[in-house]
Amino acid sequence: MIETVRLSKAFKEKVVVEDVNLYLDQGESVGLLGPNGAGKSTTISMISSLLKPTSGDVKLDGQSVIRDPSKIRKVLGVVPQEIALYQELSAYENLKFFGRIYRVPKDQLESRIQETLQMVGLQDRQKDPIKTFSGGMKRRINIATALLHSPKILILDEPTVGIDPQSRNYILEMVRQLNVQKGTTVLYTSHYMEEVEQLCHRVYIMDHGRVIASGSQSELLSILSNEDTIKVQVNQLTDAFITAIRNIDVVRRVEETGDGIKIIVQKSRNIISDLVKLAEQENIQILNFQMENPSLEDVFLHLTGRTLRN
Amino acid sequence: MIPVFLAQLAKERRNPLLIIVFVVACIGATMVFTGGIQTPTTIAIFSEEDHAQAIEEKWENLLNAEGDIRFVITDAAKAREDVLQGRSDVAIKLFEHDYQLIASVDLPTIQYIDHYVRKIFEKEAFINAAAAQSNHPAAFRADIESKLDHPLMEMDVTALTGDELSSYDMGTQLMFAFTLLVAMFMIGFRVNNVLKDKVYGLWDRLILSPVSKAGMYTGYLTYAFLIGFVQTLIILLVFKYVLNYDLGERFGLLMVIVAFFTFSMVSVAALLTGLVRKPEHFYAIYPSVIPLIPLVSGAYMLPGTMTNPVLTFIGDLFPLSHAMDAIIDVVLYDAAWQDITQSLILMILIGVVAMGIGINLIERRQSS
Ligand SMILES: Nc1ncnc2c1ncn2[C@@H]1O[C@H](COP(=O)(O)OP(=O)(O)OP(=O)(O)O)[C@@H](O)[C@H]1O
Ligand SMILES: [Mg+2]
Repeated sequence: MIETVRLSKAFKEKVVVEDVNLYLDQGESVGLLGPNGAGKSTTISMISSLLKPTSGDVKLDGQSVIRDPSKIRKVLGVVPQEIALYQELSAYENLKFFGRIYRVPKDQLESRIQETLQMVGLQDRQKDPIKTFSGGMKRRINIATALLHSPKILILDEPTVGIDPQSRNYILEMVRQLNVQKGTTVLYTSHYMEEVEQLCHRVYIMDHGRVIASGSQSELLSILSNEDTIKVQVNQLTDAFITAIRNIDVVRRVEETGDGIKIIVQKSRNIISDLVKLAEQENIQILNFQMENPSLEDVFLHLTGRTLRN
Repeated sequence: MIPVFLAQLAKERRNPLLIIVFVVACIGATMVFTGGIQTPTTIAIFSEEDHAQAIEEKWENLLNAEGDIRFVITDAAKAREDVLQGRSDVAIKLFEHDYQLIASVDLPTIQYIDHYVRKIFEKEAFINAAAAQSNHPAAFRADIESKLDHPLMEMDVTALTGDELSSYDMGTQLMFAFTLLVAMFMIGFRVNNVLKDKVYGLWDRLILSPVSKAGMYTGYLTYAFLIGFVQTLIILLVFKYVLNYDLGERFGLLMVIVAFFTFSMVSVAALLTGLVRKPEHFYAIYPSVIPLIPLVSGAYMLPGTMTNPVLTFIGDLFPLSHAMDAIIDVVLYDAAWQDITQSLILMILIGVVAMGIGINLIERRQSS
């Protein structure tokens, strides 16, 4: 549906986005993940035709939209990172304004406004001015204004930044429903891994203006490394047991912890059954197993040597 | 375009404080500054010449013969003290054939008084000079005085309609100057909404919507035009019907001038908006520039008093001086639209040029 080809942007001499190739298929929910200043917002601005790329192209259904952005603008709903509302006006008035500029037909406008308000759960506050809203409520209205014209593609730029967990869950669930029930294609920007893990089919990870990794969640996790960490809790330990584990071909390292051992293994094979067998031979009782799953956070750490949020 | 316009209107309705402040400030300032002209004022006169009493009495009669200012003979020391302490704006020191204004601040009223007193002195000097040539000075004097008061030929001392032009109405001029001044403020602040909404990201959302660029600018600028026009209309209606000021016979034509001025000023404000990057910069610069415009345009002074060619030139670059010219012509000289076309054309010209440059600048700021 949407595709970028070697999309790049430089402000003066400073390259902010470089050779970004990404695509969104119809009905997909795609995450764009990266730390502050990675170039996420800049990439989104170029996709939504607000910003002209220095080089590269943005295509909608195979056709470049740089020259004539009207086509892509018709199918897009963009939720900007900053809250862009008339603070003095009520939620209702803001929605009416956006409905009008997006040419929602007059006879449908009122019902669309009410539907959308219901979707973001602020129907009872519609008469209040935006400036009296909490941060989370403002964010919800900020999203609502991009939904009035029922866009085919919804682009959200860090819609949950700086808000309470309740509003955050509300927003995530709302986006998920739009994607699942209405088939809206979603591009979701964030620097929260959990959100992207929860919401998105595929993820692009950006850093310093480049896409450094992409794919489905499991694909990404597999690039991370081919290692797993297993924590085993036991009633007693013997040297023979530890040596036996060390001798399993895929085990890289064994460390004693207070109440058991930590084993780092190659991902290729499940060694749990081997461990159980060895424990029986040594007459050791295994109290607890714990697989430590690597997260996308760890992927980022692995790729850049830095954490996503500092 | 219409939704943009309506959103601006809705914001104004939510918080109409600014327009109320401007209307009140304008009317208040006009009443304060023109109060001395609207109601008869007393002005101290004195002389310190050898035969002071004769001089004082002679001029007291002449000065009080016409007009509604009352000139009162006062002790010299007291008159000086009153001016010094700010109890009165001005006192007049009289000589045999000349006078001197004693004032501590330069108020528009003083120019008006100076103008009036000078007229009396010049007339007297003229009669004296003429009478000196005659064989019967006293008879000649009586004759010429009656002729001057009832002229055979109507010359430049009468207005276009033939009504006698007794005194130049500085109060009316000031009233319009203040009205247009607050209009300039209002227009500027509303044109600056473009910049404000840009910073808040609303502008970008508008760009992504089906509204065209032209539609966006039209929405913002027509709103600035309308609010400026309506504010001026409200103020003028209050002056005309509530405070009974004399706005001349042609209110319709007056509003045409106001419309041209408002358009022109919207453009100038757009130009100034294009010169700055942030709305805060605009708020810092605009209110310090705007009050200078009436000064360099001579809007607070008697027509013809502004002689500095550089200032006059700068003043003429702004629509205010042309609007004031046209308004004064219409209100005080009952001019018809043919008489003010030049001013109207100049305002349109300024408007078109400033709008072109202004929008270009705003757009350029956008892309960088
Ligand atoms: N108009 C601009 N002029 C110059 N530099 C810019 C401009 N806009 C963005 N940048 C720079 O581009 C880089 C990427 O910015 P961008 O806003 O795209 O990052 P981001 O990934 O959205 O970050 P965040 O998570 O903080 O929103 C930053 O270093 C920023 O300073
Ligand atoms: Mg961003």
